[in-house]
Formats: sequence, C-alpha cells, structure tokens
Amino acid sequence: MADVLPMGEEYEGFCRDESRTQGTASSISFPTTEDEVRALMRRMAAAGTPVTVQGARTGLAAGAVPRGGHVMSLSRMDRVLGMRADRDAEGRARYYVRAQPGVVLANLRKYLADKSMPTAGWDEGDRRAWEELCAGPAQIFPTDPTETSACLGGIVACNASGARSYAYGPARPHITALRVVLADGDTLALRRGEVCARGRRLDLETERGRRYELALPAYRMPRAKNASGYYAADDMDAIDLFIGSDGTLGIVTEIELALTPAPPVVWGASCFFEAEGPALDFVEAARPELPCALAFEYFDGSALKILRRQKAAGSGFASLPDVGPRAQACVYVELGCPDEEAALAALERLGALLAQNGGDERETWVARTDVDRERLRFFRHAVPESVNMLIDERRRTDPGITKLGSDMAVPDGRLHEVMALYRRTLAEAGLESATWGHIGDNHLHVNVLPRSAAEHARGKELFCGWAAEVTRMGGAVSAEHGVGKLKRDFLEIMYGAEHVRQMARLKLALDPQGLLGRGNLFSEQILDEERGHLQKGEKRGAGAVAGAGEKGAAMGGDGADGEVA
Amino acid sequence: MHIVVCAKAVPSTTEVRMDPVTHTIVRDGRQAVINPFDTAALELALQVKDGVFEADGRCARGVAGGADAACGGLRPSSDEAACADATADTAPADRPAAPVTVSVLSMGIPATEALLRDAISRGADEGVLLSDRAFAGADTLATTYALTCGLAHMPTADLILCGKMAVDGDTAQIGPEIAGALGVPCVTDVRELVAVGARRVRAVRGADNGTEVVDVPLPAVLTVAKEAADLRMPSIAGVRRGACARVRVLGAEDVGADPARAGLAGSPTQVVRSFVPQRADEAVRVEGTVSEQAAQVADLIEGMAL
Repeated sequence: MADVLPMGEEYEGFCRDESRTQGTASSISFPTTEDEVRALMRRMAAAGTPVTVQGARTGLAAGAVPRGGHVMSLSRMDRVLGMRADRDAEGRARYYVRAQPGVVLANLRKYLADKSMPTAGWDEGDRRAWEELCAGPAQIFPTDPTETSACLGGIVACNASGARSYAYGPARPHITALRVVLADGDTLALRRGEVCARGRRLDLETERGRRYELALPAYRMPRAKNASGYYAADDMDAIDLFIGSDGTLGIVTEIELALTPAPPVVWGASCFFEAEGPALDFVEAARPELPCALAFEYFDGSALKILRRQKAAGSGFASLPDVGPRAQACVYVELGCPDEEAALAALERLGALLAQNGGDERETWVARTDVDRERLRFFRHAVPESVNMLIDERRRTDPGITKLGSDMAVPDGRLHEVMALYRRTLAEAGLESATWGHIGDNHLHVNVLPRSAAEHARGKELFCGWAAEVTRMGGAVSAEHGVGKLKRDFLEIMYGAEHVRQMARLKLALDPQGLLGRGNLFSEQILDEERGHLQKGEKRGAGAVAGAGEKGAAMGGDGADGEVA
Repeated sequence: MHIVVCAKAVPSTTEVRMDPVTHTIVRDGRQAVINPFDTAALELALQVKDGVFEADGRCARGVAGGADAACGGLRPSSDEAACADATADTAPADRPAAPVTVSVLSMGIPATEALLRDAISRGADEGVLLSDRAFAGADTLATTYALTCGLAHMPTADLILCGKMAVDGDTAQIGPEIAGALGVPCVTDVRELVAVGARRVRAVRGADNGTEVVDVPLPAVLTVAKEAADLRMPSIAGVRRGACARVRVLGAEDVGADPARAGLAGSPTQVVRSFVPQRADEAVRVEGTVSEQAAQVADLIEGMAL
C-alpha cells in the first residue's frame, strides 16, 4: 500500500490549488495503482477520515483544496495503460486511449502529436492499435482547457472544456469508460452505453457485487454549457453521473478517452474591434456562417489594456504582439478545415463578416504556422496570467483581496443580454473588471479586479445577482470550472435548496460517511444534516441506497423533471 | 531602396530525416517553415519599409498595427549608452530612398514557394525562388553562388538581410559569403537596427564583450539574430495578397548558373558520415522517504563510476 505520510512542510503546496484557496490536511499519499487507492480508501473509511482527491491542482474552484483529513494525490498515477481501435458504421477507424488519472494533458497531446507513446507494459493488441493509429492521420483528444498542465482525472472531475468545446463539446462525450473506487474501497467499472437509468432511477453494481439503487436529483439541467453539480437526466448513462462530480462520488482510477481525427488545417484569426457591441454582433453573425469554426474566444478592452501594460513593462511579456491603440475588443476565431483551399475560403468569409459587422480585415492577425499559433496562444494565456499578477500586487497592500472570476454561460440568443447585465451592474458598483473567455458558447469569465476588501465584498454580491439572472436566462452558474468549494452558493441559486439536498443525499448513498471531497458542491453542514436524517431513517427525496445483495427501500425522487429554481 | 531578404526553408521540427546516401537532410516540404533567424531579418526589412527607422537613429513610428516604438526601451541600459555615443558620432544624415521595396529570395524545392507567399502575406513585395535539380545538395559555397546568381537577376539590392544562421545547418556562413562574393561590407549577428539611410546603415551587433554599434555604407549584408525582431502576423487582407501573388521561380539556366559551381557538383564540402544520436531511456524513479531516496541517488551515482 502507498505510504500515508504526515503533512509536513514539504507538502505545503498540496493544501492549495490554482484558485489560491488555502486548506489544511493531516496526511497525504501518492498511490500509483488502483489497488493502492482501494487499500487507502479502506483504511480511511475504517478511520472515518475525510479524503480530498487531487490531480495537478490546476482547478479554479478549490475542488482539490483539503478541508482537513487526508490528501490523496493521484499525480503519480501517470501512465498511459493502453489503447484499442474499432470501426464506425462507415468503416472509419476510431481509437481509444486508456490512461491513469494523473496523466497530464500536455503530455498526452505530445504523445499523440509526435506519435511517440510510452508503450512499455502494453499487450500486443494495444500495441497493434497504436501502430495502426501511427500509420493513419493525426488523432487528438479535443478537450482543451487553457491550463494544459491539468491532468485527465481533474478534467473528468469537472467535465472540463476550453476554447474548442465550441466544436467538440466538453470532455463528457469523449469519455467512454471509467473505473471508479468508491469510498469503501469497492470499485465500479463503467462503460458508456452499458448501464443507464430508468427515468431518474439508476441501479449500479460494484465489482464485489454490492448493488445500489440511486434516485437521481429531479432538476432539469440548463440549455447552456454546464459544469454545475451532478449530471441528472432521464434515462441517463451511469458514466455521466461520475463525470463532473467534483471528486465527491468516487475516485477515478482509470479513464478511457475517445480520440478524434485532427483537422488537417488549423488557422487562427484574431479580429480587433473599436467597441464591444460590434464584436458581439460579429460573433452572433459568424457562428452559423462558419461551420468549420473550432472556437470563438473573446477579450474585452480592459483585458487588452492590461496586456498593453504588461508588454510595456517587459519581462516575460515583451514578445507579445502589439495591440493597436484603438482596439477595444478582440475575437479570436479558430478554423479547422480539410485543406488550405477550404481554409482560405473560410478566411474570406470571415473577412466579409467582419466588414458587415463593424470590423476590418486589415485589423486582424492570422496564424497559419506553428510559430504564429504559439504566439496567439501565448497572447490568450497572457491575459489570465497578467490579471493574476495584478491581483497579487494588490494583495500586498490588502491581503483580503482575491480575484473574482465568473464562469457562467447562457443559451444562444442571450449573449447581448448577459453582456448588458455585466456592464450595467459593474458600472453601478464602480468595479474594475476584465472579461475574456469562450464567447462561442456564450461563456465569458468576467473577472472583478477589486482594489480593496470592500470592493471584493461588493464583487461577491454582484456575482450572486448574476447567478440568479443567468439562471433566469436558462444558463449555468459554472460552465467549465466545476463548483468545488467556491461556487456552491451559486449552485443553490441555480437549482434551489431542495435540489442541492437531493445531490447531497445521492452522494451519501454512495459515500455514507461523506468522506470524499468534503466541502465540494454543498456545505459540510448540509451534508451532515442529510446524513443525520438518513441515520434516523427519515424518508427524503433522491439518494437511497440498498445494502449488499439486498433491495433498498425506494426513498424519494419522484422521477419528474423539476424546474430550474 | 531595395532590400533583399534571403530566406531558407527548414524543417519545423528538430527530428529531421537524413538521406543515408547523400548524408543530407531529406527536404520533402512537409512541415517546412522559414528559418527563424530569417524571419527576424524579414521583420527588420518590413520595419524599414514601414518607416520605423529614421536616418538619425530615432524611432519614427510604431510597427504596422502596433502601438509603441519597436526599437526602443527594451535594450539594456549599457547598450543604450553605447548606441547614444555612436549616434552622436557619425549619424547617417540621409533618409532611405523611397519607396522601400522588400524582396525575399530563397533556394529550395518547389514547395518553398508557399513560404515565399507567406512572406508576401506579411508585407514583402516580391518572392523569388531558385529551384532546380542542379542546385540540390549544395554546401554553403554553392548556395552562395546560386543566391548571387539570383541577386544578379533582381533589381540591385541596397541592403541584403540574412538570418545569422539556419537552425538546420548552423554554419552562419551564407551572409558573410554573399558579402564576400559581392565585395560589400558585412555586419554579423545584428541584434538591433538603429538607423537606416539611403547610403548608410547603423546596427547593434553581438561582440565578444557584449554588443557594439557598427555603421556601414550601403550596399551591405547584415546577418540578423533571432532576438532582433518577432515577425509580424499577416492580416486576412495580407493572406489574400499572398495567395494571389506571383512568385518568380528561376532555374539554373534562367540565372545563367554554371552547373559546375552549383549544387553538389559545386560543393567542396564532403559529408563523410552523419548519424542520429541514439537515446537511451533508462530513467529510474526514486521512491521512499527523503533519506531512502537520497541513499538510492547515492547508489546510482556510485554505479555510474564517475
């Protein structure tokens, strides 16, 4: 079994993540196999020790930040275990990679791009599939969160997406199988298409034969990009419950990912506008006109101003391309085409759409080479990094300040409305902000840049107001970062208190002691209250568990669609 | 003023394939890019065309689409002092003859034409490609010969900019050899252009003890360091322009090249042997407590018999 190490100074970094939230823990482990995870969980369950699972700690919602107990870092479960191939109805090959959760996304991408995979320990069938892949066109795992040092387990835990989710959707549809260790050390093997709910009732059986009858939460999910709370839908696939569950239902120990053929030609174009309105008009006009678009990304005037300032300050940002002084908004469009002729035609169409919507094709940067694509990637990534530096600078004078970044998405047709909401309320509150993100999915990260603790508090209030309005528009309070510990208040605004309690009961059905990911999705108070009700045998909606080999009493969950609160 | 930028197509990856017979790099045009040093040379040429540099060494205006000066503020203060001293000394008093035109000259396989179109999309005015089996397998001497033949079939160049070196060959010989063949001054390892006039150019170049400012009469050859400039990206309008542009493709006969001096036949350099270094993947993961790990590392070092 992996060692359980006391949480010494050398592990201090494991008490926080990229959200810069600080936690505490008493011990840490670094398992390398599923057997070790199982043994660790049996030990923790016997002692009633809470466990926070970590990957690369790149999350922005504090999902990996421990609230006491044990930290289980999966960073050493970093092997690609194998792969398989099958054929679709038209005879085209499809490839699937099987990996441990600690595999870093950037590494997987490199293995696939270079067609150079560490295949030691693979069996003959896996190697054959890999050789077949190498002989054919390039394949990719299309999920592209901004932070490529994220690991696959983290991507599963928050159903990550990124710029290209506009074309490929979030991680969810590309995950075809999972192995999950439950809180008691038992395991589930889930393969897409094999186990589905009946309405809102889901039966699961572990590898040791323990059966669970779960009542799924009754809410209806938003029509927008969503990473808020448990996936719940009629007749849903069991695997979808665990994708995006924020480390609260089980520990993912093996992931099978479906690969996608890489577009042969990828060109990017950054388009600059003198005002925000025309940029939004352009996006709404371009989406239906550019079927080959892989991504639409946005940077507002404040974000561009911060970049200009960083470039002028030199250091690592000196090589940023110059942004014209009149530019007040930038839309980055990525095109994926079968050949250069098609890419040129799409670029021409893009130019025409710009002209029709207040842009100018001369005020664009087109990236067609690796070097240029890398420069535009650096440009896009420099924005959040610059904002983090700005906040760090302000924290020196007021340590109570943190960055407040929204992660909300609204359905198509609501883009202008939600932007107007942000602009009006920010102006009323007198708050500085910078906005960027995945405008193709109507999903923008509005970052409030507080100058004082008072502004920080005002910003938080503003976010709660936005959560209510975004929910009214049919949107989601978290579209890609997950809920973690930082956005759980918004989850209650989005789904309502009762539906959040249904989620808590579902969690307790699989993790009766409430050990995994404490503080994620719902407060410990809610979890403990629901646990108390269950222990008293009170009938409650959703959740429900049957003991090994026995049918459990059906408890709540009428299966009807609940309205979004 | 006519500026010629010499550009070479190089593999975009470091994992190149070697021809086992000729011991030269297999250039099949796949994933080829303009040599990164040459892109810096092209950007400097385009900045001259944009009027960024005045003859007295001041920065006239920002780069195309840019906000601030492209040549100011980033150089270490010691260099600034050196530059200021030299400027006070013998500043070129004239301005570059207008209009400034930028041509890009390359020798390579037909697929290199795409890279010249790319250069045009970024602002170059013309692309000339020397492409002929007779040029294949050239060493630096034969390459220089072909390029000078090409230069002779273009409008007279006032300024020739080359990359300091190519990332595949690493010889850094082409620029100086062209200057030698033409009998014009050469400034190597240019880190920054300071002033460009019709008759003189001033540049900061790398030297053994740091940098030095050099003032040379035109025509001249400058070889440019990678850090001198980042090549601008094309606009959509530029891409269209590049796609429609006509690249002049010239063979050995077109430029009157002597077959005995071109390509493999004209190359005194003989590659006796080349090989790809073998990598051994023998990483060992050290596990356990800190003291256990330290002991394992000590054992490993001992085992290496250093």
